[in-house]
Amino acid sequence: MPTYRLHYFDARGRGEVARLMFNAAGQKFDDVRYTKDTWPDFKPKTPFGQLPVLEVDGKLFGQSGAIFNYLARELGFYGNGNLEALQVDVVIGLVNDLIPLMLKVFFQEQDETKKKELLEKLLTEDAKKFFNYFEKVLKENGSSGYFVGKGLTMADIVVYDIVDTLITNKATIVDPFPVLKANRQKVESNPGIAAYLKSRK
Amino acid sequence: MPSYKFNYFDLRGKGETCRLCFIAAGVPFEDHRIDRAAWPGEYKAETPFGQLPYLEIDGKKFAQSGAIASYISREYGLYGTSSLEALSIDGVVGLAADYFTNWAKSYFEADASKKTELQSKLKNTDLPSFLANLEKILTANGSGYFVGNQLTLADLSVYDVLENSYRDHPSVYKSYPNVLENRKAIAALPRIAEYLSKRKATEI
Repeated sequence: MPTYRLHYFDARGRGEVARLMFNAAGQKFDDVRYTKDTWPDFKPKTPFGQLPVLEVDGKLFGQSGAIFNYLARELGFYGNGNLEALQVDVVIGLVNDLIPLMLKVFFQEQDETKKKELLEKLLTEDAKKFFNYFEKVLKENGSSGYFVGKGLTMADIVVYDIVDTLITNKATIVDPFPVLKANRQKVESNPGIAAYLKSRK
Repeated sequence: MPSYKFNYFDLRGKGETCRLCFIAAGVPFEDHRIDRAAWPGEYKAETPFGQLPYLEIDGKKFAQSGAIASYISREYGLYGTSSLEALSIDGVVGLAADYFTNWAKSYFEADASKKTELQSKLKNTDLPSFLANLEKILTANGSGYFVGNQLTLADLSVYDVLENSYRDHPSVYKSYPNVLENRKAIAALPRIAEYLSKRKATEI
């Protein structure tokens, strides 16, 4: 096994899915976290001037999606075979469509009135639309309770993480979606993830 | 080989990278193009999640352009020769996706003055930053391709995502000779050259 270091800010953001996968697999890694004081020194050393960066035996790689795909491959969270990998990627793609809606509300919209409007839309209309998609995939996968195949994949972890942020804004948001709720419990039942979630601030 | 039917609008948009993957790999597929004017019509209900594109593999439907392009690339030798090469390929694909997001914001903005601002940002900041990263990668890799010594999804993703800006802002590219070389080399690959020679020009 290579030596892994994950470089990210001291936040969940675009790094948490990697941390969740490392923990789910029981894979040791250095969880390097930057503050606004320590980031400027590291920035020029990164491949693209951004975080996260994954360091594999001393070599640096950028782009969160690339890092997640690599870890999913290496740690066994990409399903079995190319068709299951495709199914995993479909779910990742759906989440990638939801993320810009969240970025707009939480980081980009400057006008306070528009921001409130967008947040309301995110927590009602948008969440409902995407949660329905997630449940469709879960139901079409049969009775395993996972998004793809019969076990935990990156698909479950990526959805788990993004929904966490929505729950922070509206605690009851997953309640009308029992199949999605059950999938969250599956993710939390992974011993590595359970232990990590307990210790996570 | 499975039978493939690719469903998308009759333009490049989010579908062209997928088409280029099939073509580059020499894999036959039905290139089903849906008239924008006929959408949604009866087409939307046929899709997995109300959107295009989707790929039918022996009749089973799969959505999400990125997922589709990765599937074809994995299946037909466009994903490099190792997991670390795949990681590098996905890095370039990720940069291309980030640039696409900036391009889309500048193209679809409804407010006229905001749009002018975004178009200027695209030409003066987003595009040069993206090209600078690409130039760095090509220079370090040395083969003329983004990753390894052969064509991968990285080259095809970049080729496709730069189509509009290469047409609209060719002067910006002058400072990025390796990017230009790579673009010429990809366009000259026999199967791609044949496809490009017959492809009708679309705005996006």
